[in-house]
Amino acid sequence: MSESTSANTPKPSSSVKLVLLGEAAVGKSSLVLRFVNNDFQENKEPTIGAAFLTQKCSLPTRTIKFEIWDTAGQERFASLAPMYYRNAQAALVVYDVTKPSSLTKAKHWVAELQRQASPGIVIALVGNKLDLTNDGNETPGESATNDEGATPAGEGEGADGEGQADEEEEEQEATPGDARKVSTQEAGTYAEEEGLLFFETSAKTGVNVVDVFTAIANAIPESSLKSGRGPGAGTGQTTLGGARPAEDSRVNLGERSAATAKEGCAC
Amino acid sequence: MMQWTSIVQKAQSFIDPANFTLPSLSTSDRNPSKASLFRQQFRLPDSQNPLQEITADLILPVPHTAEQSRPRPGNRYTGRLHLSERFICFSTQPTSFLPGATHAHSTHWAGHTNGAGPAGNGFTIPLSAIRRVERLNSLSHVFSLALTTWNGALGKQPAGVFVPQRFTLQLDGSRQACERFCDGLKKGLREGMKEIENLRVVVNDCYSEFLVTAVKSKDQPGENADNRPPPDAGLGMLFRYPGDARKLRDRSKMRLWGEYFRENGRNATLIRQPTFHKLIRVGLPNRLRGEVWEISSGSLYLRLRSPRLYTDTLSKFSGQESLAIDEIEKDLNRSLPEYAGFQSEEGIGRLRRVLTAYSWTNAEIGYCQAMNIVVAALLIYMSEAQAFFLLSVLCDRLLPGYYSTTMYGTLLDQKVFESLVERTMPILWDHLNKTDVQLSVVSLPWFLSLYINSMPLVFAFRVLDVFFLEGPKVLFQVGLAILRINGEELLEVQDDGSFISVLKSYFSRLDESAHPRSENPKLRAITRFQELMVVAFKEFAGITHATVTEERDKHKDAVLDNIESFAKRTSIRNLGPDSKKLSMDDLGVIYDRFYEVLYDRQQRERVREEELRRLEKRRAERTSTLGPPADREVGRVGLGPSPSHMDYEGFREFLAATAKWAVGDSPGPSRSPSSASPGAAGWRGFGRSPSPSRPAPANHEFMQRLYRKWATDPDEGLSLQNVVNGLARLKGPRDIMNNIQYFFTLYDDRGNGTVDREGILRMSEALLFLSRRGFDGTITPTQTLDELGHPDRDAQPSEPLSTDERFLGSVSAFIRRCFEYADPSTPGGSPGGSPGVTPGTDADETADQLASVRIGDGDNDDGSGDLLDVGDEATPAHHRKASESANPALDPNNPLHITLPTFRMVILADELLEQFFDAFFPRSFRLSVDSHPAVTAASTLSSNLTTFSNINVPRPGLAAGAGASVGGASGGIVPPGRGLRGVLDNIVTDGIRMAAEVKKRMDEAQRDMERNAVARDDDEDDEDDDESAPLTTPAASTSATAGGISNWGASAYEADRDLLEGAEVISVREKEATSSLLDDSPESGLGNGSSQSKPPSSDENRRPGSSSPHNSHATDKEEHVVSKVEFDS
Repeated sequence: MSESTSANTPKPSSSVKLVLLGEAAVGKSSLVLRFVNNDFQENKEPTIGAAFLTQKCSLPTRTIKFEIWDTAGQERFASLAPMYYRNAQAALVVYDVTKPSSLTKAKHWVAELQRQASPGIVIALVGNKLDLTNDGNETPGESATNDEGATPAGEGEGADGEGQADEEEEEQEATPGDARKVSTQEAGTYAEEEGLLFFETSAKTGVNVVDVFTAIANAIPESSLKSGRGPGAGTGQTTLGGARPAEDSRVNLGERSAATAKEGCAC
Repeated sequence: MMQWTSIVQKAQSFIDPANFTLPSLSTSDRNPSKASLFRQQFRLPDSQNPLQEITADLILPVPHTAEQSRPRPGNRYTGRLHLSERFICFSTQPTSFLPGATHAHSTHWAGHTNGAGPAGNGFTIPLSAIRRVERLNSLSHVFSLALTTWNGALGKQPAGVFVPQRFTLQLDGSRQACERFCDGLKKGLREGMKEIENLRVVVNDCYSEFLVTAVKSKDQPGENADNRPPPDAGLGMLFRYPGDARKLRDRSKMRLWGEYFRENGRNATLIRQPTFHKLIRVGLPNRLRGEVWEISSGSLYLRLRSPRLYTDTLSKFSGQESLAIDEIEKDLNRSLPEYAGFQSEEGIGRLRRVLTAYSWTNAEIGYCQAMNIVVAALLIYMSEAQAFFLLSVLCDRLLPGYYSTTMYGTLLDQKVFESLVERTMPILWDHLNKTDVQLSVVSLPWFLSLYINSMPLVFAFRVLDVFFLEGPKVLFQVGLAILRINGEELLEVQDDGSFISVLKSYFSRLDESAHPRSENPKLRAITRFQELMVVAFKEFAGITHATVTEERDKHKDAVLDNIESFAKRTSIRNLGPDSKKLSMDDLGVIYDRFYEVLYDRQQRERVREEELRRLEKRRAERTSTLGPPADREVGRVGLGPSPSHMDYEGFREFLAATAKWAVGDSPGPSRSPSSASPGAAGWRGFGRSPSPSRPAPANHEFMQRLYRKWATDPDEGLSLQNVVNGLARLKGPRDIMNNIQYFFTLYDDRGNGTVDREGILRMSEALLFLSRRGFDGTITPTQTLDELGHPDRDAQPSEPLSTDERFLGSVSAFIRRCFEYADPSTPGGSPGGSPGVTPGTDADETADQLASVRIGDGDNDDGSGDLLDVGDEATPAHHRKASESANPALDPNNPLHITLPTFRMVILADELLEQFFDAFFPRSFRLSVDSHPAVTAASTLSSNLTTFSNINVPRPGLAAGAGASVGGASGGIVPPGRGLRGVLDNIVTDGIRMAAEVKKRMDEAQRDMERNAVARDDDEDDEDDDESAPLTTPAASTSATAGGISNWGASAYEADRDLLEGAEVISVREKEATSSLLDDSPESGLGNGSSQSKPPSSDENRRPGSSSPHNSHATDKEEHVVSKVEFDS
């Protein structure tokens, strides 16, 4: 749908460079795959270096084309990360809600970005694998698609009890089968302190995935869009300006565009 | 006539050693770079060294499979024959290196393939595979050897047609050289016989063995050879090999290889002829692929050395867990998941075992994502053991540093690739820059996973075929060719996205015709992949191993710096809440210093180890993996895992670079051994000092306490985190109570909030230890009060009592008060106070100090008078002390202790001690705000010890100055401590040690005073004495005065600093840290080239010294020297 709208009414379109960071196997690539292809693979090949994907997100007033850099999560790849977040206008820092250490790592990334990335970068903190928690299973009050029917988490040790303040969560706190180890409140408080967007998602069920990207699209300041590359482009690089008309047809990576039609950006 | 000359020339050329190289063990042995080139060239394990080398002709017999009707002569190749411990190698590539040639020289000499792998014709044969060597009798003077190998003779020998592999080598050299070579060969052969069992095992795993003998047995129906299962040639045998075998013409390739093996030997005894290279270029047949990879990469030789290493490793570590294993498990299901073999437990099991075994043998690398993909690819064509050894060769040699924990090799090769693109395709490069497309984001996965997940598998394997033979340059050549072929399209690209998609679509159409519209059917038949290979190896033939090496050298530092600054940034950021008490700059300084010390120590360790190894003349043979190249820099953060913990020795060095008081009293090896650490002596023995500017650290009990306090686990050592936390506690927000408490807990050995008699004395020792290098103006009692208008006992600045002396008094008052206010320990209390607790080292130290004190004492009787009348503060204290000598608290038989409140009270009761804890103690740890540590430390060191051994000595002027000052010190030393000591002597047993310390302290103070006096004199005489010190610049004296003020009070210092702000802040700060003119000046002169930086300290020295003017002569000299140094700089 996003394609048709952009084709019929030429809304202003701009691209946003977005980078995904986070510990290994928290589901970065899966989030992207869900967003771009609305697909989920159980055994996704680890990302070597980084993968690049694009997806459009249509907002009421404009179209945002995300150029997504999905980075490798293994610790030793961290030194490559600057290469990828260079000039990024948005970042998705992902952790795994069932793995507290991944939140710590996420915090490190947030700190790194705040210090080293383009000033004004929009950062979203995303807790993935919500499907392994009770909230994920029942998706209370979630508007997002849950058509695949979340499978209950197998490895529930009932280790929750991290003092969730959310009423919804408190009700389900003691339920067995909940693998959650990072409470919504803990991460949410942190996100608030640091001024981050915050979501809990499931790439497997698709819960909240599109919302994350939409929220980012909305949070990108209009001003940074005009230049095409955002504030980071101020490093003496020529901005893309007039050379762009052909790009729309070119940039979609073949098979990706087909998938876009199915769900695209839910906005 | 002409002829005659030419003959003479010829003869001379024969004699000329440059043209006629006699190989000798010693020269080649001494040249490690040659050895490593040699190993690279022939893909030998690191245990091999070039022992013998000679020019030779390889004469291959007429192939026995050739039709008799068409007889042809055997092939003949001229090249170099090499002998290592276990291998005999021959190559037509110019491999020769002049003995003692440098790396650059030998690369130049040997042409572009040197070190690049076995690209030429020839062989690499393990000596164990040679069955017999015969010396051929010939009429001519040719020295010929006939070699017969075990080729085909180790397995089951089909009867009849077996013809052993035999070839001839004609040595081309003097008789002597030939004989020597033969002797070496004989020796090697004898050794090689031990390995024959290994050879049998390894060879029987090779598919070629099966292939050749199986075909033979078909010829003889009587013998049923087919009950023998074929050797494991990878998962492909179970799950089919990728690609269409028919399309790949697998069968005919197999036939060609079979033929080649029969003519030229196989696996361990294979001889490389041009056909070998051609056969590899057209792509290997499935079942032989793994084996040929093994041969061309040299991993076969590793397997030969220890055929059971793989299984042994697995069983040795079976059941154990590691981080690497966790990481491996995460990726097992996602390694080439589209290949059927890796959807099965069989394939995944193999992958798991190989990756796990490797992570155990090379814990430094462990596991890196991308290895899973590479190994998965290898396993399609090889057995587990073969893949294991090949992975080892990949990580250690072919892809150095790619998979290390910092991945510096990956980053480095990206830089190299970028610069090659810039060089070969400048227009494209400009375009990429203009459009801000970052090439490496695209090319990095190419290199990291060897194109395996970029190209369709069949094509990636073709690249690998050549890569294993010719080395890493292949990756660059292919990468450049990809860009060249897609150049036009890429020039239209405007962003990363389109850049990637152009290449993606190119890769997906590699099997299509490169010239689909061509009239010429032959041209039409050329696929895009073939085109790629041609462009890569023809057009980019100029990209050689040497090119790559050279470029790597060029970019290495920048890449490592980048990684290190990233690592620094990250680890500083992750230091936790305590670190927030320190500034970013401080943390940066701590980080640098911490790792500098570790790095330094490791370098020294390595030097020592090498030395040991050389001494023992024993070469540790690497049996399993190739290991890191011998000449790598160990311990550099950017290179991968480096030590992260600091032991006590390292901590001492760290402290010495941080705090003045931690600098040892014996800068040169000649000084008293009591405080020269054994560790320091150890490395000095090998003629290598840590770094010219780094002083030897002290070794005081206080430092040990600090170490234990900071360490989470003293045995493990201090982590950066420990050090930062420790310093944060002290250097955090200024908090005297905190500091006092901290100091107290250092001595609260039993952790029950008490410090006993022993502890009290140790505390006072520590106070003296800490203060023995002066206070740098952080403690400024009288003058400060003066300026603030406080009434004070010593209201006259003209007759100041030196701070050092005052402090001495304070410490003795401290002891007295402590004992006075101490609580008696209950009889049941711990007997910790007994003198027997004293550790041996400490006692020794004390004894030494005591001795030195006595000596000093005797020397300096005459000056006692003038000190005593100045020291009016100290004296009353002593009297009081004397009166209290009868105090039962001083009786060692009455155990007593103080508590924190008591300690606090005692400290706060004394102005100097209060200041000590408020300002001096925390500030004595110098981080970023202060001067450069090395400079400070070095200058401090020498200043206090009045020795110049650590400065660039050979300057005559300096030496004179040194002599003068030493003389002055000894000449003028007064026993100011006499009275004090007398009093202290009354403190029984324990007191002796105390006295020694105090005495020593007094001596030092006195010596300082002497020097100060000298300086002061000079100051006064400055204007008049211009002739006597002609080199003193006016600037120096002016700023001397300015700087001097800083010593009288913090506020004054601030003002002073403001004054100089902008111009010389740094240097002034540096100066503030130093306390004496002498040594400090050369340093600053050298460091800043500024004369302003010198004087503050000199001024400090001037003031109190006015009382002893008789040393002016010496000082004149010193001043002279200083100025001279400055001019020099």
